[in-house]
Amino acid sequence: MRYLFRRFQRLVVVMVSVTFLTFLLVNVLPGDVAYEMAGMDSSEEEVQAIRDELGLDRNVVLRYLDWAGGILTGDWGASFINKEEVWHALAQRFPVSLELMLLAQLIALSLAVPMGLISAYRPGGRADRVIGTLAFASVSMPSFMTAILLIFFFSLHLGWLPATGYEPLSAGLWENLRPMILPALALGLVEWTVLMRTLRAEMIGVLQENYIALARAKGMSDARILLVHALRPSSFSMITLLGLQVGRLMGGSIIIEQIFGIPGIGRLLVHAVNTRDFIMIQGCVTLFAIAFVTANFLVDIAYAWLDPRVRLERARG
Amino acid sequence: MSEPLLTVENQRTAFATGRGLVRAVDGVSFTLERGRTLGVVGESGSGKSVLSRSIMRLLPPNARSSGEVRLGGRDLTAMSEKALRALRGPEISIVFQDPMTSLNPVMTIGAQIGEVLTRHLGMSRKAAKARSVELLASVGLPQPDVRVDQHPHQLSGGMRQRVAIAIAIACEPALLIADEPTTALDVTVQAEILDLLARQQAERNMAMILITHDMGVVAGRCDDVAVMYAGRIVEQASTEDLFRDTRMPYTSALLASIPRLDDPPHRKLEAIAGRPPDLIHPPAGCAFSPRCRYADDLCRSQPPALEDAGRGHRFACWRPMTMEAAE
Repeated sequence: MRYLFRRFQRLVVVMVSVTFLTFLLVNVLPGDVAYEMAGMDSSEEEVQAIRDELGLDRNVVLRYLDWAGGILTGDWGASFINKEEVWHALAQRFPVSLELMLLAQLIALSLAVPMGLISAYRPGGRADRVIGTLAFASVSMPSFMTAILLIFFFSLHLGWLPATGYEPLSAGLWENLRPMILPALALGLVEWTVLMRTLRAEMIGVLQENYIALARAKGMSDARILLVHALRPSSFSMITLLGLQVGRLMGGSIIIEQIFGIPGIGRLLVHAVNTRDFIMIQGCVTLFAIAFVTANFLVDIAYAWLDPRVRLERARG
Repeated sequence: MSEPLLTVENQRTAFATGRGLVRAVDGVSFTLERGRTLGVVGESGSGKSVLSRSIMRLLPPNARSSGEVRLGGRDLTAMSEKALRALRGPEISIVFQDPMTSLNPVMTIGAQIGEVLTRHLGMSRKAAKARSVELLASVGLPQPDVRVDQHPHQLSGGMRQRVAIAIAIACEPALLIADEPTTALDVTVQAEILDLLARQQAERNMAMILITHDMGVVAGRCDDVAVMYAGRIVEQASTEDLFRDTRMPYTSALLASIPRLDDPPHRKLEAIAGRPPDLIHPPAGCAFSPRCRYADDLCRSQPPALEDAGRGHRFACWRPMTMEAAE
């Protein structure tokens, strides 16, 4: 219980600081939503009238508190531009971004774990060097570069997968997955290397442990030693990273959603920033903050599953 | 004719390091009969543990090994890794020094014993678990049916070493190597663990190699004792002969360094002067000569060979002690 309470405290602190800083940032950006609402050829007076109506000239802290009060009572507000309810817009787009990020992490993990195992098995061996080089090349390439290369090769050249678009799950699983593969790959191909290097480093240490020597002395095969004896105690740092990467992944998905035309939170956010639609920006950022804290909460739960000693500490509170 | 269970013939194990070749085991030969116990005694760095890993063929990649290790007539040095894996557990097994680190922290006790049974004896998971509980009971672990589902951190050091012994004896091996099994344990637990090993050995007719730096552990628990120094056996005899008729000054110095109950209080403990030799550039003659009070020019220039002086009492020394000299 105390543990959950501490977690909740952290959520509140993260949310307040992130949303307030965003509020300030949008405030200092040149231009505001009034220009956008008034239209291209409106006079300064018309713009000012909208400003007065929205109370945009009030103190930024007061306006923030206004907004925060709305969130606390469940009112996320509505877009100034198209009057769409923020809550509604988020609910529609969040599953799309979530799917993209989950797929990307899945791809990153399914590359990182086997590659990390193989690398750690014989550090400095041929396989390790090949994988190390691949990882280096992969991490040196920004995700939008990877994305363009992927589109060029798989969409334009081979014509296997669509370059843009999105299909809801109701259109069928494969129809839904098909346009998601390339964007998820573009994100995952950047993320897997860090996971792999972390797993490799930790596993090289674990393989020196006495209990691994004992597993050898028990006549266990190398595959069983790597998978059953060494993988779990080697994956703590990697799991931590998995949570922290959610932040990077959200940043990356903003670009990737633009390139592949995916209607997720990233595109919603970019559009909101361009039109200075601060209510919508605040909504997106709040959701990102919740997602980030939740992901790291899940990581903590994963620790307990990985290491029975953590379970014991937690039970003690 | 019957071949001894274990024959080690001129085993040499060296490690390639940045500073040069470390000769950890430098020409060791001995035999061990079924059901017998050999104590291997020596200081830290004398090559005891590397010898045990050389016998198990569990050496790191930078190790260079030569010589012959025959177990039940088969030459382990000529076997494939796969064939060796099938032997580790059912034929030969080991108990490590530190029970705090030799069990996997994220696996249950039952899983760690059970996998040996499923792997080597083809037991089902369920049968393996039931057998694990029996094994835990036989090594004197209280509440074995509860402990089997627990993780190592829930057990004390002594209990963990009992678990390690249960793992080692799970497949009834012909040879058990105990590599300083009590060094990391409280003194009160040491005797219990040693008695447990002795009892298991007698019940299962295992041969055992008991590696230790403690002469006191060897006395009364081993049939024979081999004393190692700088990667070689310098003296080997039946335990009784070794204690009564010590020939090698190093053995004598080891014996003298054990405090005795009948010593007068505040008597200074005997220590062996100097340090163990550099295994990259060992001394030209007898490796112990720089620290030996009897050493002369011959000792310092030529290494003595390990020779049998009758009744299986072997020693490598140019200036062996006699009973009178020892007193």
